[in-house]
Amino acid sequence: MEEKEITVNVKKYNEKDGVFWKSYRVKADRYTQMTEVLRRIKTEQDPSLSYRASCHMAVCGSCSMKINGIPSLACKTMAFKVMDEKGEINLESMDYYTEVRDLIPDVDTFYDRMYKVMPRLYADEEVIEGKEEQRMLPEEQKEVWKFQGCIYCGLCVSACPSVKADEKFLGPAAHAKGYRYIADDRDTKKEERIDMLMDSAWRCTSCYMCYEVCPQDVQPVIAIKKTRSHLDDYRGPETDVITMARKHDNAILELINDTGKIKESSLYLKTFGFGEAIKDSINMLKSGKIKYAFTKDNNVKNINEIKKIMGDKK
Amino acid sequence: MEKKEYDAVILGGGLAGLMAANIVASAGFSVAVVSKVFPTRSHSAAAEGGIAAYIKGNSDPNDDPDFMSYDEVKGGDYLVDQDAAELLSAKSGEIVHILDAWGAPFNRQPDGRIALRYFGGQTYPRTRFVADKTGMALLHTLFEHATGFKNIDFYNEYYVLDIVKEGKDVNGLVAMEMKTMDPVYLKSRALLIAAGGLGMLYKHTTNSYINTGDGYGIALRSGVALKDPEFVQFHPTGLYPSDILISEAARAEGGILKNNKGERFMARYAPHKFDLAPRDIVSRSMTIEIREGRGFKGGYLGLDLTHLGKEYIMERLSLAYDAAKTFSGVDATEEMIPVRPAQHYFMGGIDVDITGSNHDLNGIFAAGEAACVSVHGANRLGSNSLLETLVYGRETGDSMVNFLKSHKNVESNSNVDDIVNTAYLYIKRESGEHFGTLLNELRDIMWENVGIFRDKKKLEEAVGKISDLRKRSVNMYVTDKSSNYNTEVFNAFETRNMLDVALAVSSAALNRKETRGAHYRDDYPNRDDDNWMKHTVAYLGDSEIKISYKPVNFTRWKPEPRVY
Repeated sequence: MEEKEITVNVKKYNEKDGVFWKSYRVKADRYTQMTEVLRRIKTEQDPSLSYRASCHMAVCGSCSMKINGIPSLACKTMAFKVMDEKGEINLESMDYYTEVRDLIPDVDTFYDRMYKVMPRLYADEEVIEGKEEQRMLPEEQKEVWKFQGCIYCGLCVSACPSVKADEKFLGPAAHAKGYRYIADDRDTKKEERIDMLMDSAWRCTSCYMCYEVCPQDVQPVIAIKKTRSHLDDYRGPETDVITMARKHDNAILELINDTGKIKESSLYLKTFGFGEAIKDSINMLKSGKIKYAFTKDNNVKNINEIKKIMGDKK
Repeated sequence: MEKKEYDAVILGGGLAGLMAANIVASAGFSVAVVSKVFPTRSHSAAAEGGIAAYIKGNSDPNDDPDFMSYDEVKGGDYLVDQDAAELLSAKSGEIVHILDAWGAPFNRQPDGRIALRYFGGQTYPRTRFVADKTGMALLHTLFEHATGFKNIDFYNEYYVLDIVKEGKDVNGLVAMEMKTMDPVYLKSRALLIAAGGLGMLYKHTTNSYINTGDGYGIALRSGVALKDPEFVQFHPTGLYPSDILISEAARAEGGILKNNKGERFMARYAPHKFDLAPRDIVSRSMTIEIREGRGFKGGYLGLDLTHLGKEYIMERLSLAYDAAKTFSGVDATEEMIPVRPAQHYFMGGIDVDITGSNHDLNGIFAAGEAACVSVHGANRLGSNSLLETLVYGRETGDSMVNFLKSHKNVESNSNVDDIVNTAYLYIKRESGEHFGTLLNELRDIMWENVGIFRDKKKLEEAVGKISDLRKRSVNMYVTDKSSNYNTEVFNAFETRNMLDVALAVSSAALNRKETRGAHYRDDYPNRDDDNWMKHTVAYLGDSEIKISYKPVNFTRWKPEPRVY
């Protein structure tokens, strides 16, 4: 197999020396995973290099880090695929989490988010006592398994802008976990879960960063959208966010009913009100994007057909 | 040093440890789960294919638990304790029910019942699964269930140094917090070792980097015996060249092994079961094919899934597909997956009885791959490791509860300071041996000399070389003197554990002059029931392994030739 020498630049950190970069030359071939690169550096060159790694097959979620600036699992990343034309690769600790040592950040805040969403099934008493068998349709299993696929790697939270801006937002992974139990008909705490997750779900900006970086294709943002669809079942306090959410939902219904489509500027106006809209118009004016607020947007042609369908929905 | 007191301390946050933690905590006792990784990083997560279970009303109509036990006994080449195998089969259905009640998302049949499929060595299909990430799904289910208990404390990223004991009584253990390097004494009346396997002993392994035989090492140093350590399983389908596991599910769902002539060579070695013969047989057959020049360049064979169809592969074998694609650049829907055998599982382990209790010390228990209950004998069948972790994790949890009810606290902790001081020596020393050098040598020796084919010469050489490495390891030192996540020190501790258990594996293999299951001796190619139908019991002496033997428990099945 053809081997090449590559250069790995690692952003190291320890309490005494602070942050510094160190470069290593390592032999690799087209099958060499970044976890293997790190193992070679550690056993053969720099035993002090610290990183997390366990399964080397992308199911344990240990080796999360930034590789050339992109939140990635080291084991799922092949050295040859990410090196630049000079054969160089940059490794850094994940964003958002506190640095502790080299490529090992403190991810406790990630775990705390997961623990907040009651991440466990509360089955019927009869089932727990073994008196009754649980059934589950294959389609339902598929839906649950999709969001159960989260491996606690923490990459989505490190990449999420809403987490950084809004401390009341639980973050993508916790929402995937939370929704996984809403989707599971074996669970007995559905209402409680909806009440717990709803306010946070509407704090997501739908930027899709979590969707991009998730190594398991869990698609947390989709779990958030699916959670939002339970808004009518929400019985918790009417927070500002919930009020906004209800307006938003009603606005969408109205718009589709009246025009057959979602008109973004009208939707905005109906959701946030005239005052907010003025404020944002000024911002848009400043940034030269005001023209998008006035894009011509016609109604769909067969609006009566749509009204019929919407009538059924109501 | 900080001291914390619990009723039970559990070393290991994988399936066996967490199952026991759930049981002991349900009985109202306080539990500490100590692991060098966050629990979901445990190697249980890497189990792919499934968990074998006989479920009444949801199994093949011709199947029953006796067939299942028979399969285990025969699969293990009759070195199985038959009472242990019968218990494993009898409780398999209950275990799946418990996991289902705790939320495990098993694949389903159209009517909503749990689905099942064939696995190697099974007379009837019994394997229950969650796609091909069954271990991960079950591990998360158990961990998340355990986080619901107020009386379970998790010590995540704590490395365990050694067992604290007073005479024959266990009194907890000493661990070091990896983040701060602070030692902590976790005192308890009952101690469960559920620290998993030892794959990193071998140059080629499907195991996680963390599988460094820590549980065996600390047990041996405390005077606890390992049972049957010569039995190491090599999985037929490690992905070439990264040794990532391609699940047996791939063959169970219809995948076929082929050599460079395109032949389905398993027809020659196992004319009835073909590719689904037990793992020891398939791995040996593959090694012979490669050795005799019928492998592909680089030393591998092909696993052909192409005839299964894209949709089926994506639904049932998505992990195998992804792994082949990501790590070997092969599209399994169109080409064969390159595979070769790699170390996979350790049938041996801490010597425990059917209740999970060890009798060398009072209050010490073991479960999962760390233990040897003797359900796997000389070769484990696929889908039985997950089953064992859970069935015996539960049985052992019950035994711990009984023990705690009848045993009072032992005060005193005479060896706590010694344990910490010995550990600090690695950091204080300014020169000596580096762990990486010792480790690379060890992994080569184990692969070359204590691997799939063994003989007297190779094994004697291994025992000699490992003894030398152990002598050199006394002078291990670390260059890193910092006090946050000093992973170099932990690698040195791991190396110490690996060397101790490697000596046990190679010594026991040298002693057993027969071929049985995964232990194949070129110089003794036949099973010898007259002389060797017995378990090895191995203790660590000063510089050698002390070996004795004890009988196998038979209940109903007499040894027969093992034909598949």
